[in-house]
Amino acid sequence: MHRTVRSTAVCAALILVAVGCSKSTPTADHSGSGVGSIVEGGVLRIGSSSNIDSLNPFKAFQQDAYNVFQYTYPYLVGWDTTNLTLVGDWATDWTWNADNTSVTFNVMTNGKWSDGQPLTAADAAYTLNLLIKYPGPTGLEGGYARHIVSAEAPDDGTLTIGYEAPVNEDWALSQFQQIPILPQHVWSKEEGDAGKGLRTFTNDAPIVSGGPFTLTKYSKDEFVQMDANPGYYGPKPHIEGWGLKFYTNADAMVSALQNGEIDDVESVPAAALANLKANPNLVVSEAPGIYFDDFIVNSNKPLHAELLDPKVREAFDSAIDRQSMVDTVLLGHGAPASTIVSPSTGHWHNSDIAPTPYDITHANDLLDTAGYPKGSDGIRTADGKPMTYEILTPSNVDGVDREFEIIQASFQQIGVKVTQKSLDPSAMFDLMAGANYDSYDNFDLALWDWYPLPDPDFILSVLTCQQYGFWSDTGYCNKEYDTLYNKQGLIVNPTERETVVWQMQQMIHDDRPYIIMMNRNVLEAHTSKWDGFVMSPIGSFTAYSKQTLLQVHQVG
Amino acid sequence: MRGIDFILKRTAFALITVFVAVTINFVLFRALPGDAITNLSKVPGATPALRAELTKEFGLDKSKWAQYWVYLRKLTTGNLGVSYSTQEPVTTELWRAVGNTVPMVLLGTLFSIILGVITGVLAAWKRRTSLDYGSVGVALTFYSLPTHWLGLMLLLLTAGYLPRGGREDEFLFDPSFMAHWLDVGKHMLLPSLTLGLVLYGQYTLVTRSAMLETLGEDFILTARAKGLPDRTIVRRHAFRNAMLPVITLVALSVGYIVAGSILIETVFSWPGVGLLVSRSVERRDWPVLQGAFLLLTISVVFFNYVADLLYYEFDPRITT
Repeated sequence: MHRTVRSTAVCAALILVAVGCSKSTPTADHSGSGVGSIVEGGVLRIGSSSNIDSLNPFKAFQQDAYNVFQYTYPYLVGWDTTNLTLVGDWATDWTWNADNTSVTFNVMTNGKWSDGQPLTAADAAYTLNLLIKYPGPTGLEGGYARHIVSAEAPDDGTLTIGYEAPVNEDWALSQFQQIPILPQHVWSKEEGDAGKGLRTFTNDAPIVSGGPFTLTKYSKDEFVQMDANPGYYGPKPHIEGWGLKFYTNADAMVSALQNGEIDDVESVPAAALANLKANPNLVVSEAPGIYFDDFIVNSNKPLHAELLDPKVREAFDSAIDRQSMVDTVLLGHGAPASTIVSPSTGHWHNSDIAPTPYDITHANDLLDTAGYPKGSDGIRTADGKPMTYEILTPSNVDGVDREFEIIQASFQQIGVKVTQKSLDPSAMFDLMAGANYDSYDNFDLALWDWYPLPDPDFILSVLTCQQYGFWSDTGYCNKEYDTLYNKQGLIVNPTERETVVWQMQQMIHDDRPYIIMMNRNVLEAHTSKWDGFVMSPIGSFTAYSKQTLLQVHQVG
Repeated sequence: MRGIDFILKRTAFALITVFVAVTINFVLFRALPGDAITNLSKVPGATPALRAELTKEFGLDKSKWAQYWVYLRKLTTGNLGVSYSTQEPVTTELWRAVGNTVPMVLLGTLFSIILGVITGVLAAWKRRTSLDYGSVGVALTFYSLPTHWLGLMLLLLTAGYLPRGGREDEFLFDPSFMAHWLDVGKHMLLPSLTLGLVLYGQYTLVTRSAMLETLGEDFILTARAKGLPDRTIVRRHAFRNAMLPVITLVALSVGYIVAGSILIETVFSWPGVGLLVSRSVERRDWPVLQGAFLLLTISVVFFNYVADLLYYEFDPRITT
């Protein structure tokens, strides 16, 4: 999702995990990584620039809330960040029926909730049935139970889930990866009238937890304390616990790391990287990210109709100097990009599509040929009107002003004049979506960014017609694309699904509702007293895997 | 009778101001583009059912008039509503933030008042000397500096000595009473100092101006003619008479204490009212914004009211 949204909504899905630790992934870099024996115990102090809005999974929207849920609750599956595959978390294995309309999970029966109650498959069945029964009150979690019609637990270790139609296994598992399993004995008392109690339950600390850690202390906008849960079903973590301290200033957070006030920061500004690398007491980690920055062309009813001309879009694409953006905006910590599915997601990325080369001559030729002559002032005209456009930019995206300046300078060379209008994300989306959030008739161009998930389903979905008013920021609506989107979620054969996903990327590349500009690298840092962080395209501390905090340890 | 009349008029004016502010608060935030539902329904897997549920839950399916009426009705019972983003009662959110903001801002404001009055008095007393030019110049420089920039510079300068942000070190598990308060004090020092440095210039200028005016009065000349020492003249006669405009400024400043400071609280990760307001604007969390601005309105109106009453008490010109 858009970075902006990351702060308000994100999480629920975002961030995933992908790619692996530096030791097994040649593309990741851990400069100064320490080597030493594992020292058990200690509390890892993590600095975060996000925060937690609620401890109730049916109400929370913020990224760190979901990071905390990942370690607080059992999940049936999680992402293995070393190879970007979904593996068992609480589930040991699963079996699909012949027509992919039902899946049976075997879950571990050795776990206990932190209040001593047994953790069984009945808790999972209860949670899934809540989502089916109360799609409204269960909020965003309810969306992950799409197509599920039944969930049953014939015994403590078995969970059977039924679907209304055959589904793709990868897609279905990626949905389970988003659903925390809740303790039935706690939540069944909170349902209230028609499930409304599910949204008013505050789920205060200490939270009854089934994951490796228990949330024992929470101070809003300040701090979270997590202690190891002795009843956890999996291998015991090396640490006694961890804490999350929230910062509203990234520079201060980095300074706190250098001061030794915290041990790890989730995200390091590129400008601070050189300083941190020079510090022998710190370890800097870098990996290619799945995040990307995009140039948006209104694909419904732009204020200037010529923007619907494919040749104009192609010319714009050629006139964007991606390498210059990477060098100046990201200080080299990124790469020119080509499609909405980033290369770091592995096989889902359509590698046949290369980043469009920066070629002003070609862009000028395209516009000349398409019939947009330059006027005496050097600005081209379309239907007698100057090709002058306003580019909307979100006020909270790092480097977006510089991106605009680079585009402005290049576009000037092709006879197109652009001006910038900076808005806060909410106002910007309001303007883009138009009246009733479905007209998309009040803007021409925009810059924004996305934080997609490891599975391509989500980022592909944002360009469907159904996303008008929700995630669509392009006004793109193509029935053929929608058909492919629906198809990819239901194709049982993984290879066939990959083919459709590649086809959809090609379609977006050709239609250019988005012109993808660059992928941002993930940048993290921690003190050399700690090791075991599992780096991925969305960072090591995520809502999609328990790997890092189960492996992290002090160095002896 | 004249005194009662004055108090009644001022009280009525304060109440009307609060009511008008309540109405403006309701209209103002709804005039902003964007809304909370659009923000909150931007989650993967979001469905029309989620949007409908949120709209109904927040009462946004009703007409604006109906929403206004509900808002007023709740206000009469002290109910400020529920936050859209955290779904906690607004009063809970506000009190928590006020509790964090007031000590830090109060310390900074006290620092600025004391430093500003001292430098203002000294500048007036030593008028047209290097002390005058120096103190006014430094005060104006700090007053002109961007607050967040000054905060960041202080952070850089104190790296390794003072905490980088937050209200306390939560990783000090089970600290002693003294260790805890020492830690809280260390965390408060930088944000309060930043606020104090930015604000003290206004007190310097107002105090200096008032002192200069007073020092030019005939009674000061009389005191000098009587052979009173300079210090006595300044302390006993000039300073006391010059304090009226400073009292006004102090009352206004105290009224703003509950508002916190968005920039300072952001730089120092201080979970106060300023940060709450800033986040609520981003999230279009109208109930929190309405509550915060209502609190600020009441605070400012109340302390202005107090300043009026103090004027009535201390300035005989009002009653004659």
